[in-house]
Amino acid sequence: MFSELLKSKNFIILDGAMGTQLQARGLKTGECPEAINVTHPDTVMEIHRSYIEAGSDIVYTNTFGANRYKLAESGYSVSELVKAGIQTAKKAAGESGVLAALDIGPIGQLMEPTGSMSFDKAYDIYKEVILAGEEADLIVFETMTDLLELKAGVLAAKENSTKPVICTMTFEENMRTFTGCSVSAMALTMQGLGVDAIGVNCSLGPVQLKDVVGELAKWTNLPIIVKPNAGLPDPSTGEYDLTPEDFAKSMANDIIPLGAVIVGGCCGTTPEYIRLLCKELEKTNPVSTKISISSAVCSPSRTVIIDQPRIIGERINPTGKKLFKEALRNNNLDYILSQGIEQVHAGAEILDVNVGLPEINEEKMMVRAIKGLQGVVDVPLQIDSTIPQVLESALRVYSGKPIVNSVNGEEQSLEAVLPLVKKYGAAVVGLTLDKNGIPKTAQGRFEIAQKIVKHANAIGIENNDIYIDCLTLTASAEQEGVIETLNALERVKKELGVKTVLGVSNISFGLPNRELVTSTFLTMALQKGLDLPIINPNVASMTGAVRAYKLLANIDKNSVEFIKAYNNAEPSKKTSSVSKDITLGYAIENGLKKEGAEITEKLLESMPPMDIINNHLIPALDKAGSDFEKGKIFLPQLIQSATVSQACFEVIKKKLTTENSSSVSKGKIVLATVKGDVHDIGKNIVKVLLENYGYTVIDLGKDVEYEEVLNAAVENSVKLVGLSALMTTTLKSMEETISLLRKHYDCKVMVGGAVLTPEYAQKIGADYYSKDAKESVDIAKKVLG
Amino acid sequence: MIKLENLDLDEALRYMGCKSREVADTHTLAMLEECEKLVIENSIPRYQYKVFDIEETFSGIQLKNSTLILQGSDIKNHLKDCFGIILMCATLSGKIDALIRKTQLEDMTKAVIINALASVAIEQVCDKAEKEIYAGIGDCYKTWRYSPGYGDFPIELQKDILTVLDAPRKIGLCTGSSMTLTPIKSVTAVTGLSHKPVSPKKRGCLSCNLRDTCQYRKVGNHCVQ
Repeated sequence: MFSELLKSKNFIILDGAMGTQLQARGLKTGECPEAINVTHPDTVMEIHRSYIEAGSDIVYTNTFGANRYKLAESGYSVSELVKAGIQTAKKAAGESGVLAALDIGPIGQLMEPTGSMSFDKAYDIYKEVILAGEEADLIVFETMTDLLELKAGVLAAKENSTKPVICTMTFEENMRTFTGCSVSAMALTMQGLGVDAIGVNCSLGPVQLKDVVGELAKWTNLPIIVKPNAGLPDPSTGEYDLTPEDFAKSMANDIIPLGAVIVGGCCGTTPEYIRLLCKELEKTNPVSTKISISSAVCSPSRTVIIDQPRIIGERINPTGKKLFKEALRNNNLDYILSQGIEQVHAGAEILDVNVGLPEINEEKMMVRAIKGLQGVVDVPLQIDSTIPQVLESALRVYSGKPIVNSVNGEEQSLEAVLPLVKKYGAAVVGLTLDKNGIPKTAQGRFEIAQKIVKHANAIGIENNDIYIDCLTLTASAEQEGVIETLNALERVKKELGVKTVLGVSNISFGLPNRELVTSTFLTMALQKGLDLPIINPNVASMTGAVRAYKLLANIDKNSVEFIKAYNNAEPSKKTSSVSKDITLGYAIENGLKKEGAEITEKLLESMPPMDIINNHLIPALDKAGSDFEKGKIFLPQLIQSATVSQACFEVIKKKLTTENSSSVSKGKIVLATVKGDVHDIGKNIVKVLLENYGYTVIDLGKDVEYEEVLNAAVENSVKLVGLSALMTTTLKSMEETISLLRKHYDCKVMVGGAVLTPEYAQKIGADYYSKDAKESVDIAKKVLG
Repeated sequence: MIKLENLDLDEALRYMGCKSREVADTHTLAMLEECEKLVIENSIPRYQYKVFDIEETFSGIQLKNSTLILQGSDIKNHLKDCFGIILMCATLSGKIDALIRKTQLEDMTKAVIINALASVAIEQVCDKAEKEIYAGIGDCYKTWRYSPGYGDFPIELQKDILTVLDAPRKIGLCTGSSMTLTPIKSVTAVTGLSHKPVSPKKRGCLSCNLRDTCQYRKVGNHCVQ
């Protein structure tokens, strides 16, 4: 078996290319390579045998693309081709002890949000392959480029099979996969999920992969796999540039010293390459590269090493925030995403994500928020919920290695949360409280921390992945408690050897000049060894305290980061002298966002909100709209005007929320880009315009299921639904969505998109055809007033 | 590896419905340059191609030694007198998708400008790729690039074209279930190769399915020059 092979051999030899070999035997370009498992099993067997004779210890079955999506038009089922593939490989191996690895490649569609493959769909597709391949000796994922797709595959394997799982991703010379995944992110994530070996394959030759393998060795103690191409291809002939001799030598000289122990060849390699590789390695010994892995969390493209204070942004949390709560109730994901982007700009290196509100479906919202945030920011996320089911759903769809916030010292919490942290390979925040509440003394909190660490260690969570929170109490209420928190933090860090995390904002509650108190406390905590301050990074003094501390503690060498943050303060753009003669109309017409907001604030002092909207905002927007229609201004200017008016609306909304007055909404409209379509910029432009006329838009996003549109329309009792489609192929989805709406709900439907015509709109049952964003507003006015 | 240096800003303005720089406002013009930099920084141009001999069969234009058949009368016309084709695909890669996604939340005007510039960029990538490809091909005449979705050339062929080019694996370019190319700023195209001069016909409105509702045409404009 695989583990015995690892123990008994210096190197495990994999096979070489399958595709190149099949083509040499007559496979046509575009033909389904896996079908040969059924039509010409002898050909596949011959290839396996030639690799086994050359010295391979493991052969990959001819099942790389044997998934439901790729086989759709092949006339074969997944089960048929996978089973035949394994049977052939096993037959070729005979009694030789050579193992047959179920070979699984990418599905062939991009994952959300760039593509439309969801995590669940990918999981399902892989599960089918895994179940069909139960006879294999091990499971290998190769040529993967999307970390989340690989995660879906590995989870499908782990949850539906007991076989060892190994995986390799494909990196370019820029050390990234096509989707931007880094080597460290692959290592951290896959190690966390408990795979048996990791590495790289395809894309480059051994020489060009040196840096990638070197980097991988810094991030893992798992056996390292390297399966490169036979050098680089000639773009016109497709021939690879390394001879079998050169390939074998390069592997021995360039790759093996970096720590690789499982080796083979990818595109362009033949049995001869493997034979010479075996021969070369007979003279070589493996190099042990055991290292201590840094404490770190990651997204696919950004790894944050916890070797110095790192800012966790706390703003994605509804507690005490009316607008945030309203956004959650309206399913307004964009609001949450904007909060994320703003914090990252301000200096957050990790974002806490809490979307808990009693009246909403927290699990669904959390999954949407995690997916959405990962599409627009690259920082790692901290999943914050008290409900284990919410944590687990978020952990599944998270791409990378996240933090779970949180577990505490209560048995129930330890038992429910820690196994999830272990299974999904996350880091975890441990709160020093239990059923008796928060201990008053540092000693009490230290003991709970100790208990949490002990439990975590017992199920295999290492200290590197445990972040203890010694809990900040309010200084105005429990002044003597402040130092207890700090002392506990210091002891936890020194004596338990784990990382520390602390939300600091509570400290100043109820006091004047909160900012001063909070930032001073933050500095005190940093001095005691705080690794992960949870703060509002948008407050300059807070982020500043962390930056200044890093400078003074000699962490920020040569003050590079500090200078970068403060030396290049943006040159003041337009001077904000709201000249008295600037009207709201002028600001809107000229794209003066800040001025528009300021004028609105002034107007609010003397004018009811609805009057500002009806007498100032809307006429100005109408003028922009009519100028656009006449060709006097064009799209960017129209949107600019809308953006200014959006800023004005925000001011009005804020005021109304603080006064608890009635809303200024002119009614709700559901918008969606239809199922199958991922082009949503047009729909988003329409949304901006509609919102600025005072309509509340329920934005369902892109690639939206028919039922989801219907449900949103019913739940929100909307009178108008807007559908967008860009492709001729998705017009069908538009028609289906309309037909479903017609069956179950009475509302008007407007449609738009490049390929639509008024005639077609009518044919598929829409009430209105909207040729552009401006016209959608005219339609909304007609329907909703 | 293709590098983008400058983008055709006039073309981007045209995509946004603005006839020329003279009539564009200063704010947009200033943003245009800032966004040009962003689009170049966030593009990772990649392309992939194969050259095929072709033969006309009952069901369409057959690519020899492959399973692919190009269907429709328009592609047949396009490849009249051609002995072969270059089948190509190109993409700016997914970083541009992420940039457009993020910018839409920050500043919609900027997002619209970036979107237009990225469309310009992918065409420029195709032009550059074409030059590189031509350099490796013997003397012959070439048609302009014809893409699935033009005329009656079925867009459903996207998946097969990408499979034949091994595009998902080689450059990370895929299709969705509705034949949308992902990443979003990507192109697939067929260029005919001929020993005889091919008709000088340019890509234009007559072969475009969108001509009836085209917003550019209404104001006497074109989406391409």
